[in-house]
Amino acid sequence: MTPTAPAPTTGRPSTADLEVVLGDPHDPANPLGLHAVLAADERAELLPEGERALGDWGLNAEFVPARLGGRLTDIERLMHVMRAVSRRDPTLALGYGFTNYISGSAMWTSGSPAQQRRMADILLAGGRTAAAYNELPHGNDFTRTDLTATPDGGRLLLDGHKQVVNNIGRADAVVLLARTGEGPGNRSHSHVFVDFTEGHAGRVRRDERFPTAGLRGCLIGGAEFTAFPVPADAHIGPVGGAMETVLRAFQTTRAVAPGMMAGAFDTILRTVTRFTLERRLYGRRVADLPHARATLVAAYADLLAADALTTVSCRALHVLPDQTSVLTAANKYLAPKLLHRASRDLGAILSANSFLRDGSYAIFQKFARDLPAITFAHANASVCLATMLPQLPRMAAASWGIAEQPSAGLFRLDAPLGEIDYQALELTARGADRLTATLGHPGVAELLPDAAARLVALFRADLADLRERCLALRPTDTSVMAGRAGYVLADRYAHLAAASACLGIWVHNQHAADPFLTSPHWLTAALARLATRLGHAAVLPPETEAVLFDSLTGSDTPLSLTRT
Amino acid sequence: MSTDQATTTATTTVRTPEEVREWLTERVAYFLDVTPQDIASDALLVEIGLDSVYALTLCGDVEEQFGIVVEATLAWDHPTVDALTTHIHAQIADPR
Repeated sequence: MTPTAPAPTTGRPSTADLEVVLGDPHDPANPLGLHAVLAADERAELLPEGERALGDWGLNAEFVPARLGGRLTDIERLMHVMRAVSRRDPTLALGYGFTNYISGSAMWTSGSPAQQRRMADILLAGGRTAAAYNELPHGNDFTRTDLTATPDGGRLLLDGHKQVVNNIGRADAVVLLARTGEGPGNRSHSHVFVDFTEGHAGRVRRDERFPTAGLRGCLIGGAEFTAFPVPADAHIGPVGGAMETVLRAFQTTRAVAPGMMAGAFDTILRTVTRFTLERRLYGRRVADLPHARATLVAAYADLLAADALTTVSCRALHVLPDQTSVLTAANKYLAPKLLHRASRDLGAILSANSFLRDGSYAIFQKFARDLPAITFAHANASVCLATMLPQLPRMAAASWGIAEQPSAGLFRLDAPLGEIDYQALELTARGADRLTATLGHPGVAELLPDAAARLVALFRADLADLRERCLALRPTDTSVMAGRAGYVLADRYAHLAAASACLGIWVHNQHAADPFLTSPHWLTAALARLATRLGHAAVLPPETEAVLFDSLTGSDTPLSLTRT
Repeated sequence: MSTDQATTTATTTVRTPEEVREWLTERVAYFLDVTPQDIASDALLVEIGLDSVYALTLCGDVEEQFGIVVEATLAWDHPTVDALTTHIHAQIADPR
């Protein structure tokens, strides 16, 4: 990694400051409260007061590197900020903001100094930038992109259509993926920076809107370019270099996006927990019914497992930047899956209330619609599995069972990370995987309570078994045409990476002041949930269930391993 | 670049371009489930079915077979067996 300047943290607001701006979620008079968020969703509108407040707080600065005058240093902080916004409203998190970072990430990875300056200026002035990749006929298969950028004298002409692009209709500028060469190969595409403030509005239509079932307030639209002129040097990075930029930049977005889901899930879990405490059935609180209580605790444990995987993925971008191509894909695959399934289980507790658009628990149905929409947005599960699978055989041969332990900085939540270095991110891991070596951390069996130690031993055996199965894969088993058998292996790997992240965070934060973080109960619960999904029988010890239930119901602070 | 990239067990014997070409052709044929005779050395790999996933796997195989480090973009910039042969042979002769 290249050395970077120390983070200008002085004067930079914290996520706790952001919580203060957002105010009391349950105060009906709060213009940024959940009542207002729900009402905006009914109108299929981005909460205007929310956009204003986030603008005043300077959310856009979080997307701009500190070297360009913004507040972006490490990706873990960005994840926590987006998580806090999403806890209040996932629609605002994506609709106001995250699109600005998705487009920014490609720019910060490969843009020229002048282009980076221009994009930073737009964002720091409160403007918007869109990331236009999608063309409906090709989905996530970017190599089939049809929109062309053709040299014409001293300029490029854009022709073609982008669809289902957040904020494209109101963006000041857009980073778009364009075809600059013939054929389906990986050298046929370039990113192009289009500054809409330079005119030529008559050469682009941007008024198309795609109504959606979740994230209803997001302004998801399309753009049709007809001989739209941009300067000859509008390429972001070298001509034909788009795929390398994507493979680096999107490691950071894949690390952060599941954190937005964790924020949304936090509110879902809080809402259902409140229901179980307020509602009485059979002469007692719903929360006192064993099944309901077990479901709440399981959902909380799923959140903690997802939290650990996402946190370690963000940290790994700084600590192990050569190994994050697989890890961030595992994160974007597994964390949303854990949270989506848990939200369905929680909906069963709410029962009819999970469908009501009015009343005390109506926020549930909005967040339950928003949650899966974040899963599709920006690299779906299949893309992530297909990214992981071809790398697994080499990781099996070169790392599993023999790799060195990762450094403590991967897990220590109080260890600073510095500014993200996009160029340090490698396109493939070349077989390196230190994270899962954590399952063999020396002395860990003696540190852990029996229940957790038993689970760690199971995961170690699982990794050895996965190693044999991955070594037996033929190249045809790992291509996009791979059958279900291959994808099952990638799914199992993601679970083992999550288990390793949980264990690493627990082992390396025993010095922390937070008694919940240092207690083995959250670890036992998170590992048990992961083990269950891998097909093992894992029952939570009663004391563990009690500790998690008390933590869940004891305060209203954000549900996270990181207390800010 | 980190130190824990896969250590290779490749032999250090000098390879001729013909040996490199033969190995590559066999490897590509294996990926595509055809015989080496079916692989024209000047055919664009992407056009005969070697998609980006195979291209990535091929990079790993090249590193392990020849004991060199190549970019993941190897097959994008050297899109035929002939081009790959020239590039890989040059790197074996003068490793970074």
